Amino acid sequence: MIDWGSFVVVAVVSIGSAAVLVSLFSFGLRLLAGENRRWGARIGAYACFALAALGVLYGIYLIVPALHK
Amino acid sequence: MDLTYVVVLVIVLAIFFDFTNGFHDTANAMATPIATGALRPKVAVALAAVLNLVGAFLSTAVAATISGGIIREGPGGVDITPSMIFAGLIGAVIWNLVTWLRGLPSSSSHALFGGLIGAALVGAGLDSVDFSVVLSKVVLPALLAPLVAGIAAFLATRLAYRITRRPVEKNKRAGFRVGQIFTSSLVALAHGTNDAQKTMGVITLTLIAGGFLQTGSAPPFWVVVVCACAIAAGTYSGGWRIIQTLGGGLTDIKATQGFSAEASTAATVLASSHLGFALSTTQVASGSIIGAGLGRRGGAIQWSTAGKIVVAWFITLPASAAVGGLCELIARLGPVGLLIDAVLGLTVIVGIFVASRRRPAEQSNALEVDVAMNSVMTRNERRNAQKKRSEELLAARRRLSDESSLFGYGQDAS
Repeated sequence: MIDWGSFVVVAVVSIGSAAVLVSLFSFGLRLLAGENRRWGARIGAYACFALAALGVLYGIYLIVPALHK
Repeated sequence: MDLTYVVVLVIVLAIFFDFTNGFHDTANAMATPIATGALRPKVAVALAAVLNLVGAFLSTAVAATISGGIIREGPGGVDITPSMIFAGLIGAVIWNLVTWLRGLPSSSSHALFGGLIGAALVGAGLDSVDFSVVLSKVVLPALLAPLVAGIAAFLATRLAYRITRRPVEKNKRAGFRVGQIFTSSLVALAHGTNDAQKTMGVITLTLIAGGFLQTGSAPPFWVVVVCACAIAAGTYSGGWRIIQTLGGGLTDIKATQGFSAEASTAATVLASSHLGFALSTTQVASGSIIGAGLGRRGGAIQWSTAGKIVVAWFITLPASAAVGGLCELIARLGPVGLLIDAVLGLTVIVGIFVASRRRPAEQSNALEVDVAMNSVMTRNERRNAQKKRSEELLAARRRLSDESSLFGYGQDAS
């Protein structure tokens, strides 16, 4: 009647991907915080933002049917 | 019964439904960025409208059935007549407007299903509705959607606070506002691809039923254009009442929470639409906001508001079914019945708009400057005063949604 298997998959994927995206962005912000930040921290922060942006781009890829069909 | 006349009525009503769908659902994507001052209200609804417009053109694959299997339509089942679709749409539109008047986010697709179920029950008997599908596609997802999104947003919010915690230096949590713009846009785009398509499907299937199109044909281009414009116009007009409920009525949203909530909404909506377990965007968005509210230490949820929202979800289907059934009953009188339906529906719609003017929601940007002042100010002065107030409001929203560590607290507070 109700497909519990696919529900569990949806739940796990939703919770996991939200956590990953938010963590990436948060790490980026954390690395930017502080007065005398070093080079490495800055590069790390931008890397985090870039990865988060990739996540958003993947979302767009999923939304646009022409891209994945 | 003259079929052309019915088909025209259905198309006009379907387009209006698309409009209400747009303005009912602006809040899903844009309530949190407006609440935290990430976007100005006007900019937010304009962005959502554009993304809805674009989204509507991206995906035009029309569903094979109007009701998604809830009504046993097609060969061997019942024929959904255009008059049933008309009655169902009236039910959906009226319920959408009633919930909007009360500022309650409720699912537009559930309203549509409800209206059609009511019409089918009256028009084709009890056997026409597959109640096990109602349970598995409407009732259970209504429980599960906010649960999944709530857990996702709760965890995401906790993580975000934990990671950005800076006990001695200033944190950069204001940066979450930039992130909010992207996650909210994702939700708006997904909404455009999903919801405009539903109306396109209704119109196309009506045209097929009326014999104007071949069975199984794609929606004509004008249908796509009209549906895209209707949903975009609806989104731009902005259901401010619902935006207020989601943006401030449930919980006091900080930038960190807004980002976490929208990220969870986007993740859940995309996962559910690609892994085969459909969840309602509206319910996901509300669940995310509650989850984010619980995730912040010291965050409080207005449970009375949350309770009202949940009640609205569960009565959406029966309420619009009742209206749809009633309309179908009248519609069975023939063309006269349809006309009576149309007039009654229009009266109710106009009545709701009049009622909404009597208790206007704060239109966020169009703040009313004192009436007495209006008479003594020129148009330019009035415009400047409004602009100044909206700037102040935006600054206040930003200030309230920021959280600084104790370090430098004095400077921020001043």
